[in-house]
Formats: sequence, C-alpha cells, structure tokens
Amino acid sequence: MTSTTSAAPVLDIQHLSVDYGEGSDAVRAVSDVSLTLRRGEILGLAGESGSGKSTLVFAITQLLRPPAVITGGEALYYPRARDQEQPAGVSSVSRTSTASISAEASPGQPVDILRLPPAALRAFRWNELAIVFQSAMNALNPIMPIGEQIVDVMRAHRPQMNADERKQRAMELLRLVGIAPDRIASYPHELSGGMRQRACIAIALALNPDIIIMDEPTTALDVVVQREILNEVMRLREQFNFTVLFITHDLSLLLEIADRVAIMYAGRIVEQGTQHDLYQRPRHPYSYGLIHSFPSLRGPRQRAIGIPGSPPDLRAVPSGCAFHPRCPFAMPVCTTTLPILLPQSSAEGVSVACHLYDSTSTQEPPTAAEMGAAYEALAKGSQAL
Amino acid sequence: MSLLRRTTPQPSVSDHPSSGAVLEATHLRKYFPLQQVNPFGAARAVHAVEDTSLALYRGRALALVGESGSGKTTVARLLARLDAPSSGALSFEGKAVSAGDLRAYRSHVQLVFQDPFASLNPIHDVYYHLSRPLRMYRHATNAKQVTEQALELLNRVSLTPAEQFLHKYPHELSGGQRQRVAIARALAVRPQVLLADEPVSMLDVSIRLDMLNLMLRLKDEERLAVLFITHDIASARYFAEETLVMYAGQSVEGGPSDEVIQHPKHPYTQLLISAAPDPDRPPTTEAPPARGEIPSLITPPTGCRFHPRCPHAMPVCRERFPRRADLGGGHWTHCFLYGEGTATPATTSE
Repeated sequence: MTSTTSAAPVLDIQHLSVDYGEGSDAVRAVSDVSLTLRRGEILGLAGESGSGKSTLVFAITQLLRPPAVITGGEALYYPRARDQEQPAGVSSVSRTSTASISAEASPGQPVDILRLPPAALRAFRWNELAIVFQSAMNALNPIMPIGEQIVDVMRAHRPQMNADERKQRAMELLRLVGIAPDRIASYPHELSGGMRQRACIAIALALNPDIIIMDEPTTALDVVVQREILNEVMRLREQFNFTVLFITHDLSLLLEIADRVAIMYAGRIVEQGTQHDLYQRPRHPYSYGLIHSFPSLRGPRQRAIGIPGSPPDLRAVPSGCAFHPRCPFAMPVCTTTLPILLPQSSAEGVSVACHLYDSTSTQEPPTAAEMGAAYEALAKGSQAL
Repeated sequence: MSLLRRTTPQPSVSDHPSSGAVLEATHLRKYFPLQQVNPFGAARAVHAVEDTSLALYRGRALALVGESGSGKTTVARLLARLDAPSSGALSFEGKAVSAGDLRAYRSHVQLVFQDPFASLNPIHDVYYHLSRPLRMYRHATNAKQVTEQALELLNRVSLTPAEQFLHKYPHELSGGQRQRVAIARALAVRPQVLLADEPVSMLDVSIRLDMLNLMLRLKDEERLAVLFITHDIASARYFAEETLVMYAGQSVEGGPSDEVIQHPKHPYTQLLISAAPDPDRPPTTEAPPARGEIPSLITPPTGCRFHPRCPHAMPVCRERFPRRADLGGGHWTHCFLYGEGTATPATTSE
C-alpha cells in the first residue's frame, strides 16, 4: 500500500447519474457521483446491495443495457504516456496497430469514455480498462478452453501477433496468475472456483491494462481461496503497476487492502477517505455503523449493534439525506435538504456528505464514542416498542 | 470492531448443564451413493460427513465453521433428520431418535435455512406460513388462537407492528424481514433446538448484526439450544459459546469459541483464521503458505484429509485419521502434532 493521495488521476468520474427507465417511472440508481481514481492506487468502493456500486461500474465501462440510461456526467480517462517501457516479466506486446485511444488524444489529454465513438470504445476496452466480474463461471465461456479465451482477447486487439506468440503469451499469463501452463486446454468446468477466478484475472491482464475493475471478485469464494486471490492481485499490482477499482460489500476486506475507500448509500457516495482515516475515524454515521457491523476476531467479545432498519427501496428514496430514517443523529434539516459531499478541512483527502459536518452547523460533530452510544440508544428504543 | 465497550457476560462453567445435552449426535457419518457408471466397478459415494460427534445444550450455541464442501449443511440436515445418517446415533434428551416418529422429533428440533427468498412460499402470506406449524402441532385449534399466536410470534422476532405484517406476502418483505418470518415459523413449533444454516449470509451487511442479536436474544430468553452454521469465523466467535471446525467432512478442532479462535491448534484452523478479513491484522503478517481447495469427497485423501495442504504433514497423516487429542479446558483437536506422541507440537503462529 503506497501513499497515493497526491498521484495524478487516471479516471475522473464527474457528476455521473444513471436511471433505470425513463419519465416518471425512472429509478435513479446512481445520483451525481464524483469519484477520482489515482494512478497506481487501490480504490475500494463499498456499499450494500442496491447502493448502485455495480451500476456505476457498468456505466463507466459502457456496459449498461436498456432500460438503464446515463442521464448525466462524464468519466474522464487520462491516457498513460506512450512508449513507456514495459515492466519486467512481460513479453513485449506491441501496441501500435489497432485504433488506439492515443489516436484520439495526446498523452495527458483526458478523453470522456461516455462519449467515445464505437471504434475508439472497442479499442479502449481491455487495452486500457479490464474488468474481473463476480461470477467467474458466468464470465467464462463454458464450451471454450481457457487458453482459447485468453488468445481470443489478443486475436481481437493484437491482430499482428501470430498464433504461436499468442499461445506463448497465454501460457505466460496463466503462469503469472498461478495456474500451471499445461492447463491451457482445460475447460472452465474442469477448474475449481478459485482457478476460474484466476483465469479471469489472466484474461484481464492479457493486454497489460491501465485500470482493472474488480466487481466483487471474491464474493463467491471461500475465505482461504479469497485470501490467495487477493495476495495474487496485490503481487501482480506490484509487478505491473495497474490501478484497481475494487468493489465489494465486505468493508472489513477493503479496509485491509485498499488505499482509499468510498462508501455508497442509495446511489450516492456518503463518505470517502483514506483507508486509515475511515477505519480510525469514520465521520458519516452510516460509515460508522457499517464498519461496526462486523464482529471482531480479536479483543474481548463485545455486544455489537447493527444499523436499524433496512436499506431503502430506490423507487421511494427518503427525502433529504436517504439515510435519515436509520440515522441516530437525524435532525430536521436531514429530512428536507440533501447533504453535499464536501472535503473536510480537519483531515486531508476526506470528504463526507452529512449535515453534522456543515460549516454552518453550530454544534460539534459527534465523536466515535458518541456515535456508538447513539446507536445503542436507538437500538434500545426500538426494542422497547 | 464493536460499538460498545461493554463485554457480554461469558458463560461460566456452572452455566454448563450437568444434566446433559438436549440433542446429541455420536459418530455420525453420511455417504451419498453415486450412480454406478461402470457395472463392474466399485461402488462410489460422496463421503460428505465422517465421524462427527456433537452435543447441543439448552441456552447455548454451537457454531459449525467450515468452507463450502466441508459438510456443515449435511450435518444440519442429519440433525434435522431430513437425511438419515449412514451410521452413527442421534439422541434427543437421552433417548435415541427413531425413524418412525419424526413428527414428534421435529416438534422439538427446527431448521432455519440460508436463503429466505427460497424458504418461504411466494403464493402464501405471513399468516399462512405461521398458521401451518401452529395447527399441525396443535398449539392452536381455531382461527382466533392462530391469529393471537401469530401476532405474538411476530412480536418476538421484532416484526412490529405485527398487525401490519400478518397479511403481507414474501415479495413485500425485505430479506431481513423474510428471515425473521422464517425464524418465527420455526419458533411456532415451540422447539427446544434451533438449527440455523447460515441464517445471515444472504442478508445485507448492515442488517446481519441485527439478525444475530435477535437470535442471541431468543437463545437467552427462551433457553434454545442453537446450532449456528457459518463460514465466517468472526461471527462464530460473536454468536456461539462453542465452535466446531470441519474440513472436508472431518471435524478437526473444537472447544470454547474464544479458545479455538484465539489459540487455534489445528493447521487448518490456523489457515482459516489467517485468511479471514481483519483490518486490525498487523501489516507484517506473511501470506499463508498453504494453497489449494477442499479435495473431492468422492475420492478423498486418505488419513487426515488436510494432509495435501498441510505445512506440517508427516507420513503418518496419510495413513490414518488421528485420534482426538484433548488440550484442556474442553479444547480438542484431531491432529498428530498434538498427542499420540509422534511429534513435538508445532509452535502456533502468534
């Protein structure tokens, strides 16, 4: 984990909104989300089901299907400098032939992924940005050997490579992710769950992309296998220096691996900050509740209290701050006015969307202990009913 | 990582009922025979559970921890008698469970499934789901009694106001609310034993703790004996007094939860704990050396099934499964590193 708070942006998402459906029936799944991915970091995006984290990823990769509509915003990609020397261990994969994104813009000039013409978008995908999906079994073609699926990527994006080179590269990629190269002719059903996910990572790495998005890559796996895959990702990142957007509902996992973490609730980012800041001093009451929703492995056994209620239905998101019906600190203003994600002067790189931290607010924001006590009081009150 | 600095009262030794277990299973085995492809070949079977013994006590919980394929759900199904064990004995309050009278047995032992979206019938409302056990086990004989008791059940699982939930259909409820209905349905039978098979793993993260706290309250208030199946070793520690770790159908370690989780002895338990997400983990901790996944249970490794992945494997591990080694304080493990005098104990990674 390197300190990357000052690194240059590689992907800058600005005011992105996504609706499902149109007109009065539209359900807003992602609302006005701004998020910056900096070069070389692991940015964790955490949220419960329905918080919009997967929709966000599908939007920035242009994979959304109707009825989903991107209603606003942009996703700026800052191309890396060309002619960069390849990192050690990668056989040289020339990047000259296909319509490259660099044809659209000179290095350093951002391009809006959401407005790329189809040919440029095809070149952008996988060359610059690859995805590892949650379910490897569904992401892989069941009637095609895994080696063939890796070669397929190169056939589409690197037509100048000959068959032998592609096969060599596929075997090299399998070795990189910890699969014996002689499994190149294996079908997905012949591999275990962990190996399938490794194969997906190998496909993502095939063109040495700038950004890899991991959408719950380990949710379907057991903890031991999950740990192996994560170690593998960390090792590969050291070697190839790609940027990771890691999406999961498991905040305890993110707090361990990510450099920075953003937390989504009901389609909006409610807090973002460095992993350390967020863990030590969560500012949004939802972040606090989420972090403390996981029983600990260490220390004395303590009674813990979860967040009351359940996540909102996006068809009827509460007015004002969407978290107010579950929040122990809800004030009158929370029910009427939407809080804006604002950077905190007290801590660098931390932003929070909560009226408790308004500059106009007269009272001091609650400390961690006060948040704990407030949740406890709320739990007691609901049990007394 | 907890909201409160208040510690829960630890169960004292005197709390342990000397009167004996409510439900006790001894040497359970379950083989699922496979279809014979080659008529001259040897009969093949999935060796799902090998020689598992456990006991459930009133007002206490036992957590069954393991990865998928470790046999933990099969154990729950054997205890609920949804499947008959291949061998081994099951006794309820000291009496052997007979296959002839399962209705009487199930009036004491109930199961809560993992997926509340699948375990409730989508075409019936909450009232119907609760009325069935109430009438079948003759706790209510007329509609007025059914309504009264159904409302009371909903209150017990904190679905309030109960009147509003009584006539809702599963699709109108959230995952957490559905799981509460499933628990209320199990409680309607007035069981003494609740078998909960991953009751929170399908729920949203922020409401899991709420559900665990509800089940803890029921366990304490109604003196239920609970079997809590989970893959998350941290929630095992949170929920249960005792923990049993399974690997590929074999029980490898067990004892008081804190003892097992703070001082794991079996190499597999150590691996499981080192792999669990833990933001408090010291950053210097090295990646666990063991690799691989649970082996095929059709042709499992001989002896201790963990030996192909075990960093301490010895020749004897391939030959037979080690006997139980008692480590004191109720903590035990099946590993040649402890006991049987064949090797010096491995130093545990502290």
